[in-house]
Amino acid sequence: MLHRRLGRDTGWVLAVGFLVLAAMFAATAPAVVHGEVIEAAWPWLPSIDASLRLRLDGLSLLFALVILGVGALVMAYCARYLGRGSHVWLYTLMTLFGLSMLLLVLADDVLLLFAAWELTTLCSFLLIGGTHARAAPAAMRALFTTALGGLALLAGLVLLSVHTGTTRLSAILSDPTAADGSAVTTTALVLVIAAAATKSAQLPFHFWLPDAMVAATPVSAYLHAAAMVKAGIYLLMRFSDAYGDDPLWSGTLIALGLVTAIVGAVLALKQHDLKALLAYSTISQLGLLVALTGVGTAVALAAAAVHVLAHALFKATLFMLVGIIDHQVGSRDIRELTGLRRVMPVTAALTGLSALSLAGIPPLLGYVSKEEMYKAFVESPGPGWAVAAGIAGVVAAAALTFAYGFRIFVGAFGGTTEQWRLREPSPAFLAPAAVAAAAGLVLGVAASSLSPLIEGAAVTASGHGTETHLKLWPGLSPELGMTLATFAIGAALFLGRDPVDRFLQRLRAPVEGRTAFDRSRDAAVSAGSRIAALTERGRPVRHLPVPLLALVAIAAAYAVTGADVSPPPESSRGADWILVAVLAVTVAAAVSRRSRLGAVVAVGLSGFTVAMWYLNAGAPDLAVTQALFEIMIVVVAVIVLRALPRRFHRVGRGRVAGSAALAVGVGVAAGAAVYQLTGHRDRSAVADYLLEHTKPETGGVNAVNAILVDFRALDTLGEITVLAAAALGVIALGDRTRPRSPRAGEPDTADTLLVLDALRRVLMPVFAVVSIFLLLRGHYGPGGGFIGGLVAGGALALARLAQPPTGEPALPPVERRLLSSGLIVAVGAGLSALAAAEPFLKPLHAALDVAGLHLSLSTSLVFDLGVYLIVLGVVAAALNRLAHHEVDLPERDRAVEPAR
Amino acid sequence: MSAAVAVAVLVAGGVFLLLQRGLVRVTLGFVLLSNAANLVLVASGGMSRRVAPLIGTGPTEDMADPLPQAFVLTAIVISFGITVYLFSLARSGRDDDTEDDP
Repeated sequence: MLHRRLGRDTGWVLAVGFLVLAAMFAATAPAVVHGEVIEAAWPWLPSIDASLRLRLDGLSLLFALVILGVGALVMAYCARYLGRGSHVWLYTLMTLFGLSMLLLVLADDVLLLFAAWELTTLCSFLLIGGTHARAAPAAMRALFTTALGGLALLAGLVLLSVHTGTTRLSAILSDPTAADGSAVTTTALVLVIAAAATKSAQLPFHFWLPDAMVAATPVSAYLHAAAMVKAGIYLLMRFSDAYGDDPLWSGTLIALGLVTAIVGAVLALKQHDLKALLAYSTISQLGLLVALTGVGTAVALAAAAVHVLAHALFKATLFMLVGIIDHQVGSRDIRELTGLRRVMPVTAALTGLSALSLAGIPPLLGYVSKEEMYKAFVESPGPGWAVAAGIAGVVAAAALTFAYGFRIFVGAFGGTTEQWRLREPSPAFLAPAAVAAAAGLVLGVAASSLSPLIEGAAVTASGHGTETHLKLWPGLSPELGMTLATFAIGAALFLGRDPVDRFLQRLRAPVEGRTAFDRSRDAAVSAGSRIAALTERGRPVRHLPVPLLALVAIAAAYAVTGADVSPPPESSRGADWILVAVLAVTVAAAVSRRSRLGAVVAVGLSGFTVAMWYLNAGAPDLAVTQALFEIMIVVVAVIVLRALPRRFHRVGRGRVAGSAALAVGVGVAAGAAVYQLTGHRDRSAVADYLLEHTKPETGGVNAVNAILVDFRALDTLGEITVLAAAALGVIALGDRTRPRSPRAGEPDTADTLLVLDALRRVLMPVFAVVSIFLLLRGHYGPGGGFIGGLVAGGALALARLAQPPTGEPALPPVERRLLSSGLIVAVGAGLSALAAAEPFLKPLHAALDVAGLHLSLSTSLVFDLGVYLIVLGVVAAALNRLAHHEVDLPERDRAVEPAR
Repeated sequence: MSAAVAVAVLVAGGVFLLLQRGLVRVTLGFVLLSNAANLVLVASGGMSRRVAPLIGTGPTEDMADPLPQAFVLTAIVISFGITVYLFSLARSGRDDDTEDDP
């Protein structure tokens, strides 16, 4: 709504919102950085002791401020980057993205953490893929990779919470058994690393991040600088306290991080597209952060904290500026961008500033963080060779970073100006980038002001106190030497950029992550379809025999080995056997007829036999329902058969023999199971309860009806909903097929129709009255909504049969209205109980004495009316839709029809 | 015993039709199978007491279990809905049912 008024300027409002949130967090800073913890909790899933538990400590505070601060800048940037028009979707997703990141860093419950983690994955997927069709594969890669990591995280967190017996994150991490070196915790540790590696684009999962460049620039800026990829870093820092002493943890992280940092930096140096360069640069910087977390000392974690901030600032700035340059120049190739300083001085200056921060030049914040990083590696614990390797690795990565940072810088400043027509963008467009770039400079110069915040984060992450004094001039120390070495190597790489570039362009990765990903995905998809093909054959005969044979085999195995159940007491009566005999004859007819009509009639007769069976078994409600149901089935089948050939196709002998053998086997197995498994116990306690309470509690007599509309009314509500859904399916199918003229040579003659029509006139009112009577007396005798509805449907069926087959609907199309009003009435009856402060669907009773008649009214009767309407609606849908839209068979099919 | 035989007959017929070509026969097989399933449910309540569960119309002691009956009542209506749906599928496409046997 806001968006409709403001259009793209919504970004400003959202930016202010993010800033306000950030200010609220900043207000807590003085307390939080000194170790205070702010917590809030709402119960969520008490059965597994999970709650919406939030926790703000030093580490969360740092990340929250970065997320909100960069979020505000990016939102403000959106307001000018986006064209005029509607961007509701982008703004909504970006806001959701930021908030889910915030939830992620505040979550103090493993389930909440996982949910937030997946939310960021989903948001980034939608943001990457949302721009244009070309982005879809990249978005899919990002989704698959990070969702795979999400699954690893879930597994790891579940292992840990089962192991420690709590879902509370802070409790798990402070529990000494969480890192006791057992197989469970080691597995969990590896899973957490895997999750972080996918999210933070570490080797070999790095490929999704450069691909994600297809997203709009503000999305990239946010994703790279503050959201998404920083989630992995946060996770590692959060677990650092618990796992920091584990050599597997530190070794893996340092090696993984440094290799990623160097490979990422080499790949970044290779790029000419500015956006791709920045993407690989992000991978490299994240590698450094991972390695620092692996070192795990308080100094290292402080360095990581500073670098998170520094990276957020310069990366957000660079992305925003690249977006501006792309916007104004129409190119992102670094070789074409020369001499920008003469035409776009402000843009060039800002680009240069953040490029220098990236390269680690004093007095920018990037330099401060790099100094801290060096100090952490110099002071890292471990054997001498490991420390030396770490120092070498980090210097190499930093030197490469220096080289590509300078390429950006010189791209903006150096060279001759070729494009004189370029103009500086509007100040509003530049402002967010300017703020971030300036912050990088100011915070670099006044680095000491950051110390409390960084210290707070480092103390939380490392678990013990530390003194952090961020400063520009560290004095004569090993770090200074490392810095000088970095500058020297970096400058050499930069100056010799032509040979370096030629060398790099020849470099080819042995396996491209992207290709490997696509191949494994294709393999998974085709394996899936091969497995599905085993059961999806389009015809039941292709796959049904397997489970059916298995059923027979199980029954046979049981008969051979475990048949120690004594036969139940005989409960058959003489009349049963007559019915069984009739059933056998009708079923035999049903399977052997080749005439469709004959088969339908035989099935209908077997259904009537079943109805007699119910009557014989003491279930008059069922008998009536079954009989009506059979009438309906036959009517519907006859209507359907009009559109179809009269006879089934021939069936080969082999098929008859095979399916007959299987059918007999399954039949015998089912019969034996029923014989063995029923009739052993007395009437159930539930039955006794129901029989005893029907009268006093519902005022009714018919226990079956009382169960349907009273004791188990919620089940019935579910069932009529299913019924309504089936009817909607019929309606939808009917809508898809075209009307068709009836078959030539229709046997219905005018005379029979006349008789039927006369019958209809007499019977329809009778049917209607009877159906309502049955509905009303449901509580007292056989009847109720189901039966009443079927009887009313019988009236419709009669009307339908009496009508000449013109293809016109027999009735006005009321079925949708019947279905919806039925559901509304049923739900309304249930809700009326709420109004009387009773549970949903609890019937309310009232007795009425009208004209000497005692009527006991109950909302369960209203509920039954809903059932009645739905059943009627289903029947109406079946009759109307099936009869009205008959399939348009080609002329040929009808012509060859034998006129028997 | 009689219930078991009745179920066996219905299941055998239903399975046979289910394994045939053409959705109309498959649908008829489905009807037989759902009747069989309903008989199993009723039998699960026991076949030794057979007085209709209408309170006051007979000795409560001999009344049949009303719970399976309530299950079956809704099951009958739902299988009606599904049967109608299957029938409408049977003629919505071109397959063995809409093609005539040469």
